[in-house]
Formats: sequence, structure tokens, C-alpha cells
Amino acid sequence: MRRSETWKASRRNVLKGAGVAAAGVSLLPAGIALAQGTAPSAAKGPKLLEMEGKAKLIVLGDKPLNAETPAEMTDDDVTPTDKFFIRNNGLVPDAPADAKAWKIKIDGEVDKPMDITLGNLMSRFPNVSYKMMLECGGNGRSFFSPEARGNQWTNGGAGCAEWTGVRLADVLKAAGVKPSAVYTGHYGADPHLSGDTSKPSISRGVPIAKAMEPHTLIVFKMNGKDLPLIHGGPVRLIVPGWAGSSSTKWLTRIWVRDKQHDGPGMGGFSYRLAKTPIVPGSKGDEKDTVILEAMPVRAVISFPADGAKLASKKLDLRGHAWAGENEVKTVDISTDYGVTWKPAKVDAPPNKYAWQRFTASVDLPSAGYYEVWAKATDSKGVTQPFVAGNWNPQGYGGNPINRIRVLIAS
Amino acid sequence: MTQLNITHVVVISLTAVFLLVALDRAGQLRGPQPTYTPPAAPAAAAPVAQIDPDKGKPPPHNDTVVDLPDGKGREVTFYTCTACHGVALIKAQGLTRDLWDSTFDLMLERHKMAPVKPEERAEILDYLAEQFPPRRKGRGGDNPFLK
Repeated sequence: MRRSETWKASRRNVLKGAGVAAAGVSLLPAGIALAQGTAPSAAKGPKLLEMEGKAKLIVLGDKPLNAETPAEMTDDDVTPTDKFFIRNNGLVPDAPADAKAWKIKIDGEVDKPMDITLGNLMSRFPNVSYKMMLECGGNGRSFFSPEARGNQWTNGGAGCAEWTGVRLADVLKAAGVKPSAVYTGHYGADPHLSGDTSKPSISRGVPIAKAMEPHTLIVFKMNGKDLPLIHGGPVRLIVPGWAGSSSTKWLTRIWVRDKQHDGPGMGGFSYRLAKTPIVPGSKGDEKDTVILEAMPVRAVISFPADGAKLASKKLDLRGHAWAGENEVKTVDISTDYGVTWKPAKVDAPPNKYAWQRFTASVDLPSAGYYEVWAKATDSKGVTQPFVAGNWNPQGYGGNPINRIRVLIAS
Repeated sequence: MTQLNITHVVVISLTAVFLLVALDRAGQLRGPQPTYTPPAAPAAAAPVAQIDPDKGKPPPHNDTVVDLPDGKGREVTFYTCTACHGVALIKAQGLTRDLWDSTFDLMLERHKMAPVKPEERAEILDYLAEQFPPRRKGRGGDNPFLK
């Protein structure tokens, strides 16, 4: 109860704080000019998603549709489906007439290649549910300076939903993985943006060990309901903690490879980090890169909102933190630009790959403008940098310390 | 006196039965009757059998050339790029001409953009570099090693 009350209070405060940047969002469609005299901040707001079954996410691009969850909309313990971010590489395929007849092919380095329907998959293998992170590989790209290429995600290309499916390991074991298996190659039904159906829009994969990890699932339910089409329904992969592009939507095929997969999205600078550090803004060398696998450690404050105008000097804040393959051990809070830090309370995750709740209470010395910073450190002692470092042309791995701006009324 | 014969008995009995059945509006004297089922409509006309393949898809989106800022090369840039993606993706970028140039290669190689004539490529790159240069200043924006 307390949480929802303060949330509402915060919303009101946010609306009052018209002069504070980033919180004001335009409800007008893009391109509609505002009459003179209207607050200039209102005209600069991002475009908000208008789609049945989805909340008003921030639209990064309409074609393909990509939309992120604003930080203040990530406050739920488990991300509701309507608030979950949307990432597409190609076009959204047609909804199938009969979801259970959807076919998935398992082939390549297996003893018994199979074509299995979703209906058979659901009944043949044990069904499991976990709360797990799905995060766009480019999450945090907007923090790079100068700009890196691609959709300019802040921290909103991430969510923690409850996924239900069967273990990819169970399916691969049934097909009999040969000793020659090294990597997987995943294919989905999404058509390429150009309409050319001869090549997939994207096809990424993971090392066989990650494919066999018991949390890597072929998923058909999201938060207890049939997986919606926009999130890859009727069936997708969830490769938790890793760059989301390997969690193939509208899954049609797992090709077990005897070498690293080479589908579109595996080469060039796609989902790759610079091995030798390069000058920010330079072209770099495609050959001197490593594949982005697990996502980096990150904390995001979900309350209060960036730009909130608050009445009290006592600030109760909260958010979530996660760390790819690892667990978050500590989250530290600073309200003086990193001069001093105070530990937040960090909850244990409900299962591996789930995000973790952090809460903190800080007493600000006076009214006025403050930045609140949150920094997570994982079980290996790896923490977040002050700025997005290791610049790379397509902007992966941007996880600087989270910052929100608040104004305390005098 | 007319004698009652078997014919009279049969006629009277049958008449009584017919009358009773005809007056039995509650149907209690009759056995269970099959209920009326209308003939099934032809499959093509039955809406329940159809799934809208577009249900759950994002709303359609179309940009126009004026969604890009005015400048030399706007038209060719618009029609080349929006064959696949929206203008929002272009406008979100802030790249040097060098990085726009490698973006062009990425679109050709990775994203299967249709081949573009060299003079058109130059015009598009000039437009993109002028309209969408790096905007974030500070670290990197004025990097000494980029001169």
C-alpha cells in the first residue's frame, strides 16, 4: 500500500516539476506544432507507444518498432507484460492460426534431428518457470560519447518477466548432441525489413554450454499467459543474462553447429566489443573484436523518477540491479556526486538471472537540486564505471552509474 | 340402439389420443423431442474459424520525406533508407562522415540494402554528415586523436 501511495505522490510531484528536464513528456503525436506560450519542455518529449496491450513506452523507432520502458515504470518486482520493452530487428510475422501446430526444427550436430510442434514440445518435456532478465544488447547505448550507432537505449531495454517453457537442454539431449557440437544457431520467422524472404533478419547463437544451462528455455508463456506475438509468440528462446538478440523470437530452428555460428548479427561490429581499446568515434577494426555474451552489471533507480520535485529531505528510494551471469552483492548510493557512498539494502534474487530489489533511505542536508547515483557491484567484485567506457562503433556494454535528478522544495 | 362395435372403439380412442396430444402444450405426454439445430453455415462464412494474422502486430507506420530536415540530398536519402527502416533511426544517430560511411557498408553487407550508385552514396553521406553529426560533447566529442 505504502509503495503505491508514494508512487502516486511522486507522479503528482513529477507533473508539478515542469521546469525539470526529462520528466515532461509530450502527449501529442510527433510533428504537431504547439501554440506559442506552451511550456517548451512539453514539445521536446519523446514519442509514446500507442498499442493495444502495451503501456505508453518510449518509442525509439517505429519501423522496426523498438520501445523502451522508462525507469519509473520498472518498479514492479516482476515486469508486467504491458510494461516490457520491445525490440525488433525485422518485421513482426503473421500470428499463426494454430499456435500448437507451430514447428521447430532441431538439426545439425545431433544424432536424431527433429521437427517438433509446439504442442508436442509442451507435453513431451517438463515445463518450468523462472523470473529472468531479458535485456537488449544495446541497453545503455545512449550513454556513449560520442554517439555510437543504433537505437539510443537509456536503461529501459531490460525487464524481468516470469517465463514458462521447456529447457533447451532437455530438447537438445532428446535430439542427442554430438561431441562435435560447439555452438547453436537460432532462427526465427520474422521477415527481413526489406521484405526479402531469402535471408533471415537476424540469426545469432550461443556456445553449447550456455545452450545446455538449465535456465535457457524455449518459452511459450510470459507472466502466466500465452506469449504475445509482439514478444515472440507463440514461442521464443530466453537465454537469460545475455545480450537479448540470442533470445530469438518466433523460434523456428535451432541449428547445432560444429563451429561458432556465422548468421547475420554474429559478425562485423554486431554484438561485439573492441578487444584493443579504440579511440571513441573512430571506425575501429572488425577483426579486433570479441562477442558480447553476458550483459554487464547495472543498477536502475525506479523511484523516485528522474526529474521528480519532492517535498521531503528524507528520500526513500528503490530500484533493481542485475549482473548478467552473476549475482549483485552490493548497491551503493551517493547524493554528492560520488564523494561519499552509502550501502542500500539488496534483496536476494528469487532465482538465478532475476533482478534484485534494492532500497535505501537517505537524508539530504538541505532543500535544492540533487543528483542521486546508484552503483551496483557483483559477486566477482565488478562494479559500474562513472562513464560509459570501452567505446565501440555499435555501442555495447554501456553501463555507467545510474543518475537521477531531483529537486527538494524549500 | 346402435351397437358399439370395434370400429367405434378404435375411432373414439384414436380421436381422444389425438385431442390429448394436440392440447398437451406443456409436452408432458410426449417423449423427448430433438431440439432444432439450424444448418451449419458454410465454413468460409464462419468468422470463428478465422485468425486475423495481423492481430498483435504494431500499428502500421509510414514516414514522409518532410520528416527529415531540409537539405541537399534529402530526397535520395529518404528513399534509400526508408525502403527498410523509419526516419527515427536515422535522426537518433550522431556520427562523423567516416562512421556514416561504415554505416553504409553495414547496411549493404549485413542488412542487404539494394546497391547504390557511387554518386548517390556520396550525396547521401554528405547529407547525413551535415544533418546528423556527433552532438554529444565532452569526452570523445573533441578527441585529440580524431584530428
